[in-house]
Amino acid sequence: MLRKPALLLTIAAGILVPTGLSAAPDPAAKPLKDGATREARSNTSQESPLVSTEWLEKNLDARNLRIVEVSVEPGVFERGHIPGAQNVVWHTDLVETVSRDIAGPDKFTALARRLGIDGDTTVVLYGDNNNWFAAWGAWVLAQYGLVDNVKLLDGGRKKWEAEKRPLDTRNAEVAPSTFTAQAPSPKLRARFADVLAVAKRERDEQILDIRSPDEFSGKVIAPAGIQELAIRAGHIPGSVNIPWSKAVNPDGTLKSKEELKALYAAAGIDGSKPIITSCRIGERSSHSWFVLSRILGYDARNYDGSWTEYGNAVGVPVVNLAGTVWGGK
Amino acid sequence: MRAAPSGEALPLPTRSVSAPGAGRALPVRATLAAAIAVGLAAAAWRLSGEPGGARFALSLVFGALFGFVLQRSRFCFYCQWRDYLVGSDPRGMLGILAALAAGVAGYAVVLGAWMPDPSGTRLPPDAHIGPVGPVLILAGLSFGAGMAISGSCISAHLYRLGEGSPTAPFALLGTGLGFVLGFVSWNPLYLASLSEAPVLWLPRHLGYGLSLALSLALLAALAWPLLRRLPAPEAPTRVDPLRAVFVLRWPVWLGGLAVGALGTLAYLRVGPLGVTAEIGGRARQAAGALGLLPDRLEGLDTFRGCATAVRDALLTPNGLFIGGLVLAAFAAALIADQFRPALPTRGQVVRGLTGGVLLGWGAMTGLGCSVGTLLSGIMAGAVSGWVFGFAMFAGAAAMLWFGRRTGLLA
Repeated sequence: MLRKPALLLTIAAGILVPTGLSAAPDPAAKPLKDGATREARSNTSQESPLVSTEWLEKNLDARNLRIVEVSVEPGVFERGHIPGAQNVVWHTDLVETVSRDIAGPDKFTALARRLGIDGDTTVVLYGDNNNWFAAWGAWVLAQYGLVDNVKLLDGGRKKWEAEKRPLDTRNAEVAPSTFTAQAPSPKLRARFADVLAVAKRERDEQILDIRSPDEFSGKVIAPAGIQELAIRAGHIPGSVNIPWSKAVNPDGTLKSKEELKALYAAAGIDGSKPIITSCRIGERSSHSWFVLSRILGYDARNYDGSWTEYGNAVGVPVVNLAGTVWGGK
Repeated sequence: MRAAPSGEALPLPTRSVSAPGAGRALPVRATLAAAIAVGLAAAAWRLSGEPGGARFALSLVFGALFGFVLQRSRFCFYCQWRDYLVGSDPRGMLGILAALAAGVAGYAVVLGAWMPDPSGTRLPPDAHIGPVGPVLILAGLSFGAGMAISGSCISAHLYRLGEGSPTAPFALLGTGLGFVLGFVSWNPLYLASLSEAPVLWLPRHLGYGLSLALSLALLAALAWPLLRRLPAPEAPTRVDPLRAVFVLRWPVWLGGLAVGALGTLAYLRVGPLGVTAEIGGRARQAAGALGLLPDRLEGLDTFRGCATAVRDALLTPNGLFIGGLVLAAFAAALIADQFRPALPTRGQVVRGLTGGVLLGWGAMTGLGCSVGTLLSGIMAGAVSGWVFGFAMFAGAAAMLWFGRRTGLLA
C-alpha cells in the first residue's frame, strides 16, 4: 500500500538533499586571493582601527587577541559566534543599570578582567546591526584608555556570516587580566553643557546629528516602536544631519577613508573644528564617532545624552523644521 | 510499548462524503502530500539562500517537523488529560511527561554551555522564564478551561486545522479575540500583580545539576501513579515500518521524545518552541490598528515568553513555524487518510469561539500556552512552566467535570 508514496518522498528527498548541500559552499575550500593576503598583513599594523574578516579568521588563535561580540539581539551570540569570542551585553555590562551613565570604574574593571583585556591586548569588537553597539563598546573602552589596541571587525557579524565563515557555540576560556580602570577620560564624551554652549554659539564646535532625516527635521520624535522619547521634536541648533548609515557600504563594511572624508566635508565637517556626535541615546552616534575619531583622526566626542536629554531639557534652543507641536501638527 | 492501531480513540469528525481528499485513492493523497513536502523543502531552501534567512528556513523546518510529530502522535494536551480522566488511559499523559523529561535534559546541556554560571542576575537568552504569581495561575486556569470547551489547546488546534477540523478555525479566531481581551486587561494586571511577581529560574538557585535532578524527580513522581494504571500490554504484532510511521498513530511517548528533542534543537538554533507569538503579535497589530489597545502595555515587552511584539514584517520566524506546522500536519493527515474536513455545526462554532477566547486570554496573560510556557518553560527550568502547567490541567479538569455534569461537554 505505502510503497508508492514512500518512493515519492524518497525521490523528493533525494533530489533536495544534494541541492541543499551544494547551496552552502565550504568556506575552507575557498582559497584566499593574493589581494586578501596583503590586506590581512596590512591589517596587522597597529595603526588601523579596523580588521578585516580575512585577517581575523587567520588570527583567531593569536595569543594576545581578545574577540568580543556586542550585539543587540539576545541569543545571537549564544547560537553561534566567531570562534573564541566573548559576549558583552551592552545594556547591562557597559552601562550603569540604575543611573544613566556608562559603566563606572569598578564595574568596568571587573568586565575587563573577565574578558582578559589589558592595556597591551589587541581587542577586536564586532556585533550585529552594522557594529552599532560594538562601536558603542569601542567608545566606552576608549574612555578607559583602551584606544589604539581596540579594533572593529570591518563589516561586523553581517559580513562574517555572509562569507560563511565558521561560527562556534562554545564559550571561550581566557585567563583573567589584572586591568584596573582609572576615572574615565572626559575628552571623548560631550556633556549637556558642552552641547548647549555650541547651540548658543558660545563655542565654535560642530554637532553631527546622525539620526534619520525625519527625526532631525522634527517630523517624528523617535523611530517607530521606540518607547523612550523626548518631549520636543527637532534638533540642536547648529547641528548638521548625516545619517550614520551613509558611512557604510551595502556589505556592512565602512566606506573608504577618501569617501568618508568627502561625505562629511560636503556637510562642512572637515576636522578643522572639534566635532560632537549626537543621536537619540548616543549609541548609533558612537558609530559615527568611531569613523570620525578613529578612521579620520578628527577631534570628535560623543554626546550620549543626545536627543533624549537635550529634547527633554527646559529652556534650551531647539530647531524644528517640520513645525510639529508636541510631536504632532 | 506498542504502536496503537490507527484511529484508536480519535475524536475525528464525522466523515463528509463530499470532502476533497477524503477516501480518495492513496496515490492521489500521497502525491499531494509529497508536493507539500517538496514545497516546504523548496521554501526552506529558498529562504536559506537569502541573507540572514537561515533563521527563517530553520523555523519553517522545525515547524514542519513539529506539525508532523503532533499529527502522527496526536500530541494534544487536552486529549491526553481527558483520556486519563474519563477513559483511565494514562499513556498520553506519560507521553507528555516523556517530552518534558527529554527536553529538561536537552536544555540542561545547551544552557550549561551558554551560561556556565547560572547564579548571576542574568537569564539565559530568550528562554521562556516568566513571572510567577496569581495572574499566572488565573492564566493557566483560563487556558485549561478553554481547552476543555474547545476540545484542545492552541497547538493541537493548529495541527487539526491541517486535518480539516471544523472547530479549529473558530477556536483560533477566538484565540485572537482572547489575545485582544488579554491586552486590554494587561495594564491593571501588570500594575496590581505582575510587576512584583518574581521571575524564578531553578538553575539560578540550585545549579544545573540539582535543577535537572529535581525536575526529573518531579516528573518521575508524576509518572509513578500513571505507570501503575497502564493497561495490560497487547501481544506484539508485526507492522510494516512505513505504515507504522505514516499511517498508524505513534505511541504518545515516542511523540513526546521527539517533541523533547525538537524543543532542544529549536532552542539551540532558533528559539524556544512556541505557537502563540505570531497569533499574539498579529492580534496586537490588528487591535492597535483598530484603536482597541491601550497606548502603552506596561512592561509587556520586557518579559520573557512568547513575545507579542507588533509585527510589521511579512515573514517572521514564528509565522513560518506555524505555517510549517499546519502544512506538515495537513500532509501527514493526507497520507494517513485523516484529512476529514466537515462543515461546522453551530455547537462547534460556539464551543470553538468561547473556548478560543479563554485560550487566548490565558496565553496572553500567561505569556505563552501549553507549548511556550509549559513545555519550553519547564524544559528551561522555569518555575512559571510548572505553575502554569498545574493550573492548566486543574482548569481543564474542573471545566470537564462541570461540562459533563451539566451535559454541555462530552
